[in-house]
Amino acid sequence: MKLKETMTPAKSAVMLSITALVLTVYVWFFLHAESQISIAILLVAAILAVILSRRFGATLLVEQSAARRPRLSRWLAVGCGLALIAAFYSSHFVLLMLCGVLLYSTACLGLTVQFGYSGVANFAGAAFFGIGSYATAVLASHTAIPHVLVIFISGVIAAVIGSLLLLPVLRTRGHYAALVTIAFGILFKTFIEVNDVLGGPQGLQVPGMNLFGFSLNDGFSLFGLEISFYVPYALLSLAMFAGVYALVNALERSWVGLSMDVVRTDETAASTFGLHIVRWKVIAFTMGNFFAGIAGGLYGMIIAFVAPNNFTFGDSLLMLSIVILGGLGNIAGLIPAAMIVLILPEKLQFIQEYRFLLYASLVIVILLFRPQGLLPRKTRIFFAKKGS
Amino acid sequence: MMAGQSLISVDKLTMRFGGLTALDELSMTVHEGEILGLLGPNGSGKTTFFNVLTGLYKASSGSIFLDGENILGKTPQEIYRNGVARTFQRSRLSLSLTVFDNIVIGDYQHMQHGLIFNLLRRKAFRAEYDVYVEKVKALLEIFSPPLVDRLFEPVDSFTMIDRRRIEVCRALLSQPRLLLLDEPSAGMTHDETDELMQDILQVRRKLDKLSVVLIEHEMNVIERITDRCVVLNYGKKIAEGSYVEITADPYVQTAYLGEAA
Amino acid sequence: MSEVTQYIFNGLMLGVIYAMVAVGFTLFFGVLDVIKFSHGDTLMVGAFAGLTASIVMMKIGLASPALQLLAVVVFAVAVTGLLGAGIAKFLILPLRHAPPLNTLLATLMLGTVMREAVRLFYPDGSNPKPFPALLPTSMVELGGLSLRIDNLILLASGLLAIAGVHLLITRTKLGMAIRAVAQDGETARLMGINFEAVVLMTFALGSGLAALAGVMNGLYYNEVNFNVGLLLGVIGFAAAILGGLGNIYGAIIGGFLFAALQVIGSAMLPALIPGIPSSYKDVFAFAVVIIFMAWRPTGLIAEKSSERV
Repeated sequence: MKLKETMTPAKSAVMLSITALVLTVYVWFFLHAESQISIAILLVAAILAVILSRRFGATLLVEQSAARRPRLSRWLAVGCGLALIAAFYSSHFVLLMLCGVLLYSTACLGLTVQFGYSGVANFAGAAFFGIGSYATAVLASHTAIPHVLVIFISGVIAAVIGSLLLLPVLRTRGHYAALVTIAFGILFKTFIEVNDVLGGPQGLQVPGMNLFGFSLNDGFSLFGLEISFYVPYALLSLAMFAGVYALVNALERSWVGLSMDVVRTDETAASTFGLHIVRWKVIAFTMGNFFAGIAGGLYGMIIAFVAPNNFTFGDSLLMLSIVILGGLGNIAGLIPAAMIVLILPEKLQFIQEYRFLLYASLVIVILLFRPQGLLPRKTRIFFAKKGS
Repeated sequence: MMAGQSLISVDKLTMRFGGLTALDELSMTVHEGEILGLLGPNGSGKTTFFNVLTGLYKASSGSIFLDGENILGKTPQEIYRNGVARTFQRSRLSLSLTVFDNIVIGDYQHMQHGLIFNLLRRKAFRAEYDVYVEKVKALLEIFSPPLVDRLFEPVDSFTMIDRRRIEVCRALLSQPRLLLLDEPSAGMTHDETDELMQDILQVRRKLDKLSVVLIEHEMNVIERITDRCVVLNYGKKIAEGSYVEITADPYVQTAYLGEAA
Repeated sequence: MSEVTQYIFNGLMLGVIYAMVAVGFTLFFGVLDVIKFSHGDTLMVGAFAGLTASIVMMKIGLASPALQLLAVVVFAVAVTGLLGAGIAKFLILPLRHAPPLNTLLATLMLGTVMREAVRLFYPDGSNPKPFPALLPTSMVELGGLSLRIDNLILLASGLLAIAGVHLLITRTKLGMAIRAVAQDGETARLMGINFEAVVLMTFALGSGLAALAGVMNGLYYNEVNFNVGLLLGVIGFAAAILGGLGNIYGAIIGGFLFAALQVIGSAMLPALIPGIPSSYKDVFAFAVVIIFMAWRPTGLIAEKSSERV
């Protein structure tokens, strides 16, 4: 741990900026690539880069820099996101994918609080995402509630339904709660499909977002350039992800995160030190579903319709794959993992069909051989040294 | 070494697990401010007694009075808030969490848990956090100074002995009224045990009226530290008194060593 | 009258199949404290293995129903028995010391792998495939009711299979070894029981039972579908929990109970809410299970767990 002293604030800033630049450029190439060969080259390059940087200690330096200057890291990350959105200002498809990555990652932040911190397995993540979408569809179409509030309410609805579901079984061991969320995950689709009020199998249309009187679905032009109407949505998604990320980050580095971790790792000892086991699990579960709900709400507005087919059990498992792949409990790993799980199949068309098979197998391999995932969770550092 | 009023009063406490009677109408008292040794061969019910006392098990019959109130049936959380803290025979720490994490959770009842406080009022949280860092460091200074510099390392990178010390710190952080120690010196050398006991006494001097119940097998420790002893066998109390008195007791000798030939 | 008997018979059939799946879940939980979530999909693999066997038999000209049936059952049970043992050896046992949710997660994913593998790699796997009718279809008069012989045979075989497993567990040396390991693996090992062998055998047994259930499912509905394992697995899990995890009698009762709930649901709901589709019976049944679990979290017959403090 003495190594920390070698990374001064200034050196860390340089290291982080270089890393940010490299990553942004790489992702730009990745999103831009069309042919299978270029994708293959990029993938190989990434794998090589990771192996080499680990070998030569570059990874360790980056980690220490990030620990030394956490606030700078976050601003740089937001900067990368803005740069990418700007770079693809006219590409509907890429912006849509970015929105997907950002919003699924937001939901996965919720899953991390539930599973990674509190140990409550949620096999119905996509269902709560879907509840958010449906709530937004109904509220935005049939009421005059301002859209930002609609999204917030959608999150609340998802959170409330989740709590009703789980409260009965939280006093018991983990697999009973798992059964409840698995059953819900499988039956949610059934429940919605047969309900004509909610559009049945065809689903519902969702009106576009209306922010301060400006309807986002109309495109706009800036300096004579045609800006895709997805740009404001992408900015909103980025803002949502960044906001939830900041909250979850603060949560982890607080008594709340600590309590959740202790409840997860040793319930018996936790109870003898006064921790309210059920309370923390309920808070985690509710909060996580709220995040999934608001993400789903915004997503619904972006893709302009919701249908039961988007929120199947397989989609819930896909979300869990993201959480496990990225490193359970480490929220920094979510975006890379989401890109791998969500964007890669779009780029490598031939694996689209094999998505579920592939990612399920990947999770099994990870659980067997590297359960900590891509970016293992670090020990808790509440506050970095002064001068960050 | 003063016998204060009765802090804990146990009356005909019985704990049955199916066909096995782990505690058999146990009656005893713990006086305020005393250090009580709880002895007995393996399986005599000592840890079971701790588990019932801290609310982890529900007794089959009998009662335990704390401050004149029967605490049987209360949750572990409620009993903790009444000022009872413990260590475990099989060390129970969260291995993947840091030293600081494991110790600071000991004072859970005094921390602020509100979501708004923790998530949004970060400056105020930082202030509380800094106070706790100082408190934890102060405790660690007493029990294991080298750990102070390694406050934010995961507990699983430390030796068993250090982990026991960390567990004792966790129990002491909330300044409890009653400290239950379950074989804290297991696996320690003579010197390490001495040191641990001295450290506990040092903390006790600063805390008003800290009572300690100590499950131990190391007779030297019992002799030097305890004011009184209670000896259990098969869940029953078979002797009570000072160290000298109980070691002279033939029933105790039989229990530990078997029938004289 | 005959509509009620139809309902009852349906319920019994479902109950037998659920019971067989639930027994598997409970056996695995008993022996290793794990939830093997791919169990339902193991059933599906068994059904497909049986289907393959019957196709092969027809291709090589041994098309008599009796021979086909024999081949189907033997092949299905053998394949899944091996599969079950393989899963135990390469996935479940290595994950023994990881947090229990990891095993649940891993087997859940494994179930997905099996489902997708069949969907993608079995010829025309994504569509339901007809399962040959290998049992005599004549009617028989029983106590004033007309019943189909094939359904009776299926019901009887299911009950026999469960009884067989019960006898094996309670009357044979292997069964005793399984019970010993279920109670206390460490001690069983010290007593000379080959822990790993018993675990593998238990998984093979449970999986073989599931294969039988899969074949029965195929014969009853005359079709198999790659998707059938997911819902059956969750129902089997719910039934095992309903009856109390770790208890075989509980699993059997749970299986029949769940079937009863589904039957009641499919009978009652259209009467209460006209036009409600039949798939709501699943929602109804699970809702009841969830409410029940709120009242009795560890099932009808309490779980055998005990944690050393």
